[in-house]
Amino acid sequence: MSRPIAWMLAAAGIALASSAPAGGAARRQGPVIRPATPRQILAAVRAPGARAVVLNVWATWCVPCREEFPDVMRIVSAYRGRGLRPVLVSADFDDQVPAARRFLREHGVDFPSYLKSSDDMEFINALSPRWSGALPATFVYDAGGCLEYFHEGRVPPLELERAVRRALASTAGRK
Amino acid sequence: MQLRALDRWVFGFWTALAVMGGVPARAQEAPPGLALGDPAPMTDVKMKNVDGREVSIADVQGTKGTLVIFSCNACPWAKAWEKRIVALGNSWQKKGVGVVVVNSNDPGRVAEDDYATMQKHAKERGMSYPYVVDATSDVARAFGAAHTPEAFLFGADGKLAYHGTIDDNAKEPGKVKTRYLEDALKAVAAGREVAVKETKALGCGIKFRPKA
Repeated sequence: MSRPIAWMLAAAGIALASSAPAGGAARRQGPVIRPATPRQILAAVRAPGARAVVLNVWATWCVPCREEFPDVMRIVSAYRGRGLRPVLVSADFDDQVPAARRFLREHGVDFPSYLKSSDDMEFINALSPRWSGALPATFVYDAGGCLEYFHEGRVPPLELERAVRRALASTAGRK
Repeated sequence: MQLRALDRWVFGFWTALAVMGGVPARAQEAPPGLALGDPAPMTDVKMKNVDGREVSIADVQGTKGTLVIFSCNACPWAKAWEKRIVALGNSWQKKGVGVVVVNSNDPGRVAEDDYATMQKHAKERGMSYPYVVDATSDVARAFGAAHTPEAFLFGADGKLAYHGTIDDNAKEPGKVKTRYLEDALKAVAAGREVAVKETKALGCGIKFRPKA
């Protein structure tokens, strides 16, 4: 099996597993956060079906991450119906996962979410060699998985929204 | 460092896009970081040390090199590496490498990054090197430092010889495989070329003070 196909299958598996109905206890704890390698995360970005993807790397203890989260979620909600796929990656340490799940629940997250599970440098460079590793970091991809926009630090909401619209428009232009 | 085929492709792909201007990336506030071989900027700027004295990077310059680390009190990554940073700083200062740790964070954003907590950390952890306040965050801006902790090691010739992280496992010291900064310190002190000159790790973005 070729690598790209294997990654897509892995991403689809993660997505399916993440969308499984949650029980009451699970709902109280918040959405499931699954450990994922950078390859699995990029496979989720590039899995077919999205017209654009916004990927946000965050952590519960990160002040600008918490500050920007409502803006990111507002943009996700506004454009999800037009084909925007959100992908959240928590950079929390393992023992902070319960707090991360609570945070996601409080912000109404109902889509697949991941936990960085690899060496930092491998993770950072896989997402973008231009990323220093500072949190938060936000990436917007078009339907082909090409990076349209990258920002490290608290993302300006208008800038992010423009990037999302640009990615969606570029996809529409190719059809 | 060997890159696997996919990594080479990914790196080449993004680099090509960046060169073509296809990735409208925005840095947070800091300009692009120092390049290897660059001298340290703003070395004469006096910064308030935890002992109350004003200290500049030039003041701490060592005969075998100078280590400048941007760090803070509150960041979980800085906390995770703090004991190792203190051990390295205290040890290499005695071996002729000048050491200074700089806190550029605005305590108005994170209260725990204030001066009093710096003093407490320095005392409790036994720091024997200066832990100073970058009161305008301009030193971090000049270095292009983006997050904490972030290390810049200059050789005896004053040129940047290593830039990056402490080692390859912040959370679990017992599982560290490569001690990037320590390896670089050994090389610099011996006058050898550093093998791995640039590394990365996740970290807390520096909370820059507003520009004056």
